[in-house]
Amino acid sequence: MIEAPATTSYLSEHYADEAYATLSGYEAKGGYQGLEKALGMEPAAIREAVKSSGLRGRGGAGFVAGVKWGFMPEQSDAMKLIVCNGDESEPGSFKDRLIMERGPHQVLEGILIGAWAMGAERTYIYVRGEYALSADRLERAIQELRDKGKLGRDCSGKSGFSHDIIVHRGAGAYICGEETGLLESLEGKKGQPRSKPPFPAQYGAFGLPTTVNNVETFAHVPFILDRGVDWFRGFGTEKSPGTTLFGVSGHVERPGLFEKPLGTPLGELIELAGGVRGGRALKGVGPGGLSMPILPSSDLDVGMDEESLSARGSHLGTGGIMVMDETTCMVRVACVISYFFREESCGQCTQCREGTGWLHKLSRRIEGGRGQPGDLEVLGRLPKMMEAQTICAFSDAAAWPIQGLLRHFRDDFESHLPEKSCPFGEGFEL
Amino acid sequence: MPTIQIDGKEYEVEQGRTVLQAIDDLGLLMNGVEIPHYCWHPKLSIDGSCRLCQVEIEGVSKLQIACNTLVRDGMEIRTTTEAVRDAREGVMELLLVNHPLDCPICDQAGECKLQDYAFEYGAKHARTREPRRPAKKAIELGPTIVFDQERCILCRRCVRFCREVPRTGELGVFSRGEESRLEVFPGMKLDNPYSMNVADICPVGALTTKDFRFKVRVWFLDDVPSVCNGCSKGCNVWGSRSNNRLYRYLPRRNDAVNQTWICDTGRLSYKQFSEGRLSLPRIRGRETGYTEALAAAVRILSEAREAGAAVVGVASPFAANEDLFALRGLLSDLAAPDAVYTVPRGDSDDLLIQAEKAPNAAGARELGMRESAEGPGKAAVAIVLGHGFGPEAFEEVDALILIDTHESPLLQAAEVAVPSRSFAEKLGTFTNSARRVQRFQPMLEPRFEAWSEGEIVWRIGAGLGLDRFRSAYDPAAISRQIAEEFPAFAGISLESLDDAGRELG
Amino acid sequence: MRAETRERIEKLFDRYPEKRGALLPALYLAQAERGFVDREAAREVAELFDLAPVEVMEVLTFYNMFHTEPQGRHHVYVCTSLPCSLRGSRTLLRELGEHLGVGPGETTADGRISLDREECLGSCGTAPVLRVDGRYCENLDLDSARRIVDELE
Repeated sequence: MIEAPATTSYLSEHYADEAYATLSGYEAKGGYQGLEKALGMEPAAIREAVKSSGLRGRGGAGFVAGVKWGFMPEQSDAMKLIVCNGDESEPGSFKDRLIMERGPHQVLEGILIGAWAMGAERTYIYVRGEYALSADRLERAIQELRDKGKLGRDCSGKSGFSHDIIVHRGAGAYICGEETGLLESLEGKKGQPRSKPPFPAQYGAFGLPTTVNNVETFAHVPFILDRGVDWFRGFGTEKSPGTTLFGVSGHVERPGLFEKPLGTPLGELIELAGGVRGGRALKGVGPGGLSMPILPSSDLDVGMDEESLSARGSHLGTGGIMVMDETTCMVRVACVISYFFREESCGQCTQCREGTGWLHKLSRRIEGGRGQPGDLEVLGRLPKMMEAQTICAFSDAAAWPIQGLLRHFRDDFESHLPEKSCPFGEGFEL
Repeated sequence: MPTIQIDGKEYEVEQGRTVLQAIDDLGLLMNGVEIPHYCWHPKLSIDGSCRLCQVEIEGVSKLQIACNTLVRDGMEIRTTTEAVRDAREGVMELLLVNHPLDCPICDQAGECKLQDYAFEYGAKHARTREPRRPAKKAIELGPTIVFDQERCILCRRCVRFCREVPRTGELGVFSRGEESRLEVFPGMKLDNPYSMNVADICPVGALTTKDFRFKVRVWFLDDVPSVCNGCSKGCNVWGSRSNNRLYRYLPRRNDAVNQTWICDTGRLSYKQFSEGRLSLPRIRGRETGYTEALAAAVRILSEAREAGAAVVGVASPFAANEDLFALRGLLSDLAAPDAVYTVPRGDSDDLLIQAEKAPNAAGARELGMRESAEGPGKAAVAIVLGHGFGPEAFEEVDALILIDTHESPLLQAAEVAVPSRSFAEKLGTFTNSARRVQRFQPMLEPRFEAWSEGEIVWRIGAGLGLDRFRSAYDPAAISRQIAEEFPAFAGISLESLDDAGRELG
Repeated sequence: MRAETRERIEKLFDRYPEKRGALLPALYLAQAERGFVDREAAREVAELFDLAPVEVMEVLTFYNMFHTEPQGRHHVYVCTSLPCSLRGSRTLLRELGEHLGVGPGETTADGRISLDREECLGSCGTAPVLRVDGRYCENLDLDSARRIVDELE
């Protein structure tokens, strides 16, 4: 079981208490009061509340959740679906696992509120296959709800409200975290993202109107309903309200998760994790999971919200902060990153399938001391050939970190060429 | 109907079509509007994965793929901008990263879209110094198709074809990312009546037919439009010939007949023109000259006419409308009853394959001939276009004048046998089972003296001194006479037909 | 495939608006019998789902957690994504491989352990991590990792 965060706020306040993962433990801490309030409201009013709360999706893209909920057709002959995205696979990101293992009822309560707000009859929670414990905790929590009549026909004490929740396990593919790749996978197919339009609200899983939200996004919803929009907006920034669970990993003294408001300075989060290990100097930080450009040490003052990070040429992503100290060879980092994308590309689009493989081979060759003049020009151009042209954003995600590395750490790459070997002796092993 | 602009020119297009479909509908695709594409195929579902067909659309920041972007009124599409060119070059370079560049030994060379577009869009090779992805060569996917994995660009046209057209679904792409590879289920084969179409739609040299592989370089071939005579569907084909020899059939697109497909049996039927031909005229089994044989036929018929003996005619659903009409005229002048014919029958499906295994059974019907299981019955003389009844049908016939393209058991029974041209060696029309009249023209010169059935009949008629056969044989004139005599054929003639054919009225 | 497995698969169908939705769970059940889904089992599953066998094989080979070849009695996966790599997981993978006498993607000669690498397991705060038969073993060093694999039967 994953450890509870060292720094908590409303979301993770009770995570250290294992009973919080059970229905009684959750209710003892005020759980399901948000749902009770929601069931006393008109669905449109809930959608409005969630929209005005400014809650943004916590799965990486940061789309305003309430706006997404508004895309669902009001009237629909077809069953409407919710899909909860628990396919957390972004390197550097492990917050959804924490929520599913220690606060599963937060997710279920958020889903039920969404179900009432959108008129959805069924939810599939897509949990990545490796997260066995997360799936178990959710299954257990769902059974508790079923036993208490909080799921099914006319459930949660509300006549006319019917909902069921089904846990669906993935089977090992990062791309299924992409909204439409996930829908394909849920349909029993390869997780290859779909061309959009049509968007899921019109044509989602099994062709039914579907809203896909991340695990953490749902976990915030009960608090918004229970404690109010103004209270929620008291955390974070104007455009990015609320807290999030920042993961800090890599070369820090005490890696882990830290719940802090969006906009918290990057340097503060690294300090919460005990600072760079062994008193070493910081070299670079990936602020938002593997898919986002890596920032140089001079960017420690940046606020951890999308607006502030994009101004520095990166993105918030999933808020997974990866810290690299001065011993780190950024060419090796490029090798590790490009390997990941090579492994996880679904293989549909030319740019992504061929580009990810090429990036990896090229990085490995430079790292191995076999770089040649002209290689860095190719390495600079290749990500541009992969950007903004494919069915989903995976190809962009494969291209961006390499662009970031070349922009901020070009010296590392250049020094490999004349040396005919990697000049970083003590860095991590490839 | 929405109006769209393509590179500044306005066109009216159908609502609900994508940009590429609309351009294809207009007949402009790669024929005025150059939008290179791999995964898109007009008769398959849209895949949208090769990303080569990106175009610029006014007001949209990113390039969009033409194959999967719906047209809307007022849409301004640009296909020749620098951004479009860059994107194409990028895709081409990436597709060449793992390509073996083995054009000198590749059968597709000369008609390869990878080769063509690479030539057109800059990159002759990728700027890669990395080793290529290991891949297998010459995998037999089934009885008809060989797969060279290293050339595959994973456009998945073949996968979609098998799922959507014959619905046999033998092919799939296994694994993912750079490891993706086309496969059949282990132990199973790509084996369906339409399997060889995958080689046509493969834009590169990854899928080739065993039949055509390594036979001839495509630049030595020229392609003649024709029609398959394997069944009554009348699938449109290109016959690829070189040095008076056919090397293959390729399906020729006709949306009203065969879309872009052909069955394997029909595809391989190009071989019929060189195998088992009746090449020398015979009189009672003895080889003779063409003039002698015709003279013998004339003599037999005029004797019968003088004796008032019964003459019957046997038509063939393999003969052209023009041949049948000539026969009809002769029979009428000889006061013979309407010709009878028989049609070989076999398997059929709901795609292309028809039960009637002959190209012109509908033509014979339309021209007033009578299908019969038994044959012509009792007669002194039978004029027979071959490819139908067996010898047993002529037991009550005294003298059989056989006009045929191929040797058959009938040959033994024939008093006179005259070799005729196969349809690949003549001009004419067939009427398919959907009553569509389609033109074919000579793909080959006969390798021995032979005339068309119509011309042979014509010369016999002339030999008999019959009026209507006095002029020189002219299939075009005959087709005009058909149109005059049969209202259904009104307006249809060899000259007025184009390569798409026309339905009977 | 055992009759019991088929029955369990058939019971999954109505959890989805279309039967095919149950394919991933069904393949897990099929795999549970022998640790991998062989050709015959894949064919049987295809039949249950009215699919061409090749489509089932496409799915099986797309996802990392399905196997189409026999596996060791135990699976040991080392996460080698960036956060784990920064904390020495690749060294751990190499040393564990040396200890077991196999490389990534291989199975020990006695069929005891299949060793492989995996991409991010969501254990970045507790790196390096092993996933052993579906169970996470976190905050490891070489000694603790070695002990864990040595205890596998």
